[in-house]
Order: sequence, then C-alpha cells, then structure tokens
Amino acid sequence: MNHRTRVYDSIFEMLPGEENPSPMVRIGKMNPAPAFELYAKLEWLNPFGSIKDRAASEMIRDLESRGELRRGETRASGRGIVEPTSGNTGISLAAMASAKGYAMRAVVPQKVPLEKRVLLRIAGADVDVINDQMCPSPGMGEGSIGIARSYAKAQKDHYVMPNQYENELNVAAHVRTTGPEIWRQTEGRITHAFVSLGTAGTAMGLSRFLKGKNPAIRIIAVQPSEGHDVPGLRNKSELHVTKLFDEKQIDEILEIPFELAYTRVLELCRTEGLFAGPSSGLIYEGARRVLERDTKQKGVGVMMFCDNVFKYVSSMVRHVPGLGEE
Amino acid sequence: MSSYAYPEVLVETDWAKANISKPGIRFVEVDVDTKAYEVGHIPGAVGFNWQTQLQDQVRRDIVSKEEFEKLVGGAGITNSDTVILYGDNNNWFAAYAFWLFKLYGHRDVRLLNGGRVKWLAGADLPLTAEKTAVTPTAYRAASADESLRAKLLDVIEIARSSSRPSNLVDVRSPDEFSGKVIAPPGMTETAQRGGHVPGAASVPWARAVNQDGTFKPLEELKQLYLVEAKLNPGKPTVAYCRIGERSSHTWFVLKYLLGLKDVRNYDGSWTEYGSVIGVPIER
Repeated sequence: MNHRTRVYDSIFEMLPGEENPSPMVRIGKMNPAPAFELYAKLEWLNPFGSIKDRAASEMIRDLESRGELRRGETRASGRGIVEPTSGNTGISLAAMASAKGYAMRAVVPQKVPLEKRVLLRIAGADVDVINDQMCPSPGMGEGSIGIARSYAKAQKDHYVMPNQYENELNVAAHVRTTGPEIWRQTEGRITHAFVSLGTAGTAMGLSRFLKGKNPAIRIIAVQPSEGHDVPGLRNKSELHVTKLFDEKQIDEILEIPFELAYTRVLELCRTEGLFAGPSSGLIYEGARRVLERDTKQKGVGVMMFCDNVFKYVSSMVRHVPGLGEE
Repeated sequence: MSSYAYPEVLVETDWAKANISKPGIRFVEVDVDTKAYEVGHIPGAVGFNWQTQLQDQVRRDIVSKEEFEKLVGGAGITNSDTVILYGDNNNWFAAYAFWLFKLYGHRDVRLLNGGRVKWLAGADLPLTAEKTAVTPTAYRAASADESLRAKLLDVIEIARSSSRPSNLVDVRSPDEFSGKVIAPPGMTETAQRGGHVPGAASVPWARAVNQDGTFKPLEELKQLYLVEAKLNPGKPTVAYCRIGERSSHTWFVLKYLLGLKDVRNYDGSWTEYGSVIGVPIER
C-alpha cells in the first residue's frame, strides 16, 4: 500500500482513513460569505463510490471477525449479507461482499433510482424492490427493513443482516475515519459541519468526534421537505426508522424544499465543477442559508458530499425540465 | 388500566407463539402482496394477497361469498377454527381481512396485536420460508352482513346533513385530508379530486398505534376519538380512507376496542367519493 504513488495491492487498501482521506475542495463562486472557508468533502472518490464505503467496510469487517459470514462452494450455499438500503450502502456492501466471495441480497424501496438498482445487480447483488410508500405516517416500519429482517430471521443459515439503521458501527466508522480526516484536513480549525440525515450515522459520528475535540463546532443537518424525492435522505417524520438518531447531538436542523436539491446540483456542476448528487445539493443549500445570515462571518465549514450525480440521471431528468431528450 | 370493549379479538405475540400449530387455531398473513409472506411467515400460517384474493377481480367490490368460501376453504380453514390474522403495513390488510371475515360471519377471528412488524422484532419469535401444507375444507360463509359496510349514498347523506358531529372519520394522512395530495406518492389508485367529505374528522390511522405497531391503551384511544375528534358514541360512525384498508384498521379500533355500537367501514373510500360528479367536498 502506497498512498503517495497510489499503487495498491487490492481495492480494499483504498478505503478512506486519516492517512488516505477523501479530498476536500473549497467552494468558490457559490460561497456567499467569502471570508468563510467552505469546503465540500468529496465522498464519491471513495473506492465504491460513496460515503457508505466507510460504514459498509466497518460492518463487513465486524461480521467477518465474529465468524458470521461463510463462503460456500457456490455463493448460495454460503452465508451472505441481506441489507435494506436506498442504494449506496448496498452498492458498497455488494461490491465488497462479491470481492470477498460472499453473497449479497439488497432490499430497496421502489423510489430508489433505476441507476442504483442496476448498479447493485452489476456489483453482484440479488435485488428485491419493495413498495414501502403506502402511507407516509409515523408508527410504521419501512417495508424494505421488514423484508430484509424477514430474510435474516427465516433463513438464518443463508443471511446475516448488518442493519445500518441500528448498527453502532455505522456511527463508529465516522468516529474512526471521517472525523479525524476532517480534523487533520482543516488543521483543527473546523467550525461547522454540514450533513444530511438518512441513517444519521454520519451526523452522529461526526458530532461525537468533532465535539469531543471542540464542543463549539456546530453540526448542522439538512432534511428534505415532507413527501420528498431525494433518495437516501429522511425527513424528520421518517427518522424513526433509524435507531441511531439523537437530536441532541445536532445543533440545528434545516428543512429545505426538496426540489432545491436538484436545482443546486445543476449549479454545483456548472459553476464549481462538482458533479455532486442531490443530497449534496440539499446540504449546499443548507450551508448557503447559514452563511447568508451573515455574509461577513468567518469560519471553516465542511459539507459532506455523499455521492455524485451519475447515479441520479433519471431523478435529474424527472425534476429538472429540459435535461431529457423528449 | 381498563380493558378494551372486546379484548378477546386481540391476541398478543406471546399467546400466538404458544399457540402455533395448535389444532383449531389458524394463522393467516394478509399482505398487500405476498412477497413478505414468501420471504418468511409464522410457521403454519397461510398467506392471503389483498390485491388479488380479497377483492373481486372484475368489478370494484369485495370478494363474493362464493369466492370467499373458496379462498378460506382452500386455505384449510374450517368454520369452527379460530383465525388469527396478521400482516404487513401495521395490520392494515389484516384488519381489512378481519372486516371481511366478520362480514361473512366467521365466528372466531382475531388480530395479532402489532402485526408482522412486532413479530419480526421479537428475537424469540419464529419465522419460516417453508410452504404451509393445507388440506382444503368445505368452508361455508354467511350472507354478507351489510350493516358493517357504508356505501356511497350513506356517505353522501352524511355529507349533506348539517347534523354535527357527523361521526365520519377520515383516517388518511393530513396532506390527503387537506387536498394537498390526492394519494400518497407513488400510489396508482387515485381520485379525480382532493379534499375530504364535509364534516369528517381527521384522525390519521397511525395515531391509534404505538411505535411498535400495537394498539394504544383504551384511555388514549378514548381521548383521541371521543374527546379530540368529538365522536358521539350514540350515533352511527363511518370510517374511510383512500381504498378502504387503512379505514378497516380504524373501524376495528372503534368497534372492538372502544366498543362503539354502530361502526361501518366505507370501503369505496376516497377513490370512489372523490371521483363522483357533484358530491360536496371540503378542502
């Protein structure tokens, strides 16, 4: 392994960490407060394409160390992974599981874009697509989580479920990698972290690490408006599905009309050259709103740009007039 | 804590676990589709598909008496069996099946409190993907008890009446009630107009359940429906939603947990009412 020459013996050596951080790029024209250093941390440059490489690798390592995974003569005869996923965790898990010789089944909600569902299959996963948008009311477990749990329960010999919605390693991954990376990359000067909420693993992990270093660091989360179409993110009304979320660890939650996620993605691509995905668009909008409050403010902010726009071409066509060919 | 009006129609997961494969007790999982059942179900349970087995496949209607007999008999259930219903989506479709079983006169039918989601959460509660072997029976249903069902004309009459409370309960989400959306995102069954029946009280179905999917205690349900929604227990009550399944859940709560005397499920619900020319709508 050599991070300087970037020559590696295996793809797993490229996983991010303090010695191999994902890059941070400073926002230029789109920063409304020029004295405030605003950075985007480009998580799509992780080896399997998203921030979820961190939690997925942590969870797989843990399952392996506890002897929960088994390679079979055929993939189906071993014991693999089943996971409910809106895509990114599944893609990371599937790619790693395939490379290690384990089977993987991903249970995804229907609203997950086609690109991600196909990528899951390309990575070697069996994919169940579940309609779990029956009624956006509280008090109901999401269908994909229930189906994945059913596999793990009814077919214990074939599946184990890491369960990113309850697995503390999903938080620990960010305490171990993302937090220390940012601390070092900003030389301890970070004042604001901007995150989105899905499983809440990133928000909780960054809060734990960064506030441990400096309690004054503000953790600001964005959430899309209710009834949104931003895959992977959750409105507060949907957050009950994750057991990891603790509102006390967050300083501020901004609810943003979800359509802005798509508008801002275009601007980031065209103005800053950042091919960020819709959740990043929403996070940028959150950061922009905080900076607009006082355009003379100083500080160092890091936005977690979870993945890139390539996986959301069909969503972009749906939400941005004129992008399609019709 | 005081108990529900008819506590015998609700069973807890512990009871269910102790009664798996007992003669005379039959578990039926009812899902919107049977994918969940196929992946894993309570050992010995049969699976009913709400979309294809509990509704007439030509007309928009419940299954006929003959079709119901065929379905239930084909699942190996006898008239004297105790039927335990449970399912996905917090028992919506199981509650709909419960309503159908009652409508067709089955003597002993019960709901599993918390449904599939609570069963999955219990570490010691078994789940299997194995097919359940059944021996078909000659099941006989009674004629449909139409007193459990509200029809379009009943609801129009209530809408046009100025008597308040109208005892009409809209169990859909607030956005459906207000007309902001006609149906939850991604749903194919929809109506021509958004809004609600004039005079209806908005009590989304989920307010009757705890986070684990079980029903709230009696006192909380009383507070919710009798105090906040101001339902008059002495008057006939009608529950509706979009297609009649969420409202079966509330119908169950009102009739069997609160013990209101005359409760009907309007299975035509908003997809029917919101498409009819000239009926009054409030937004």
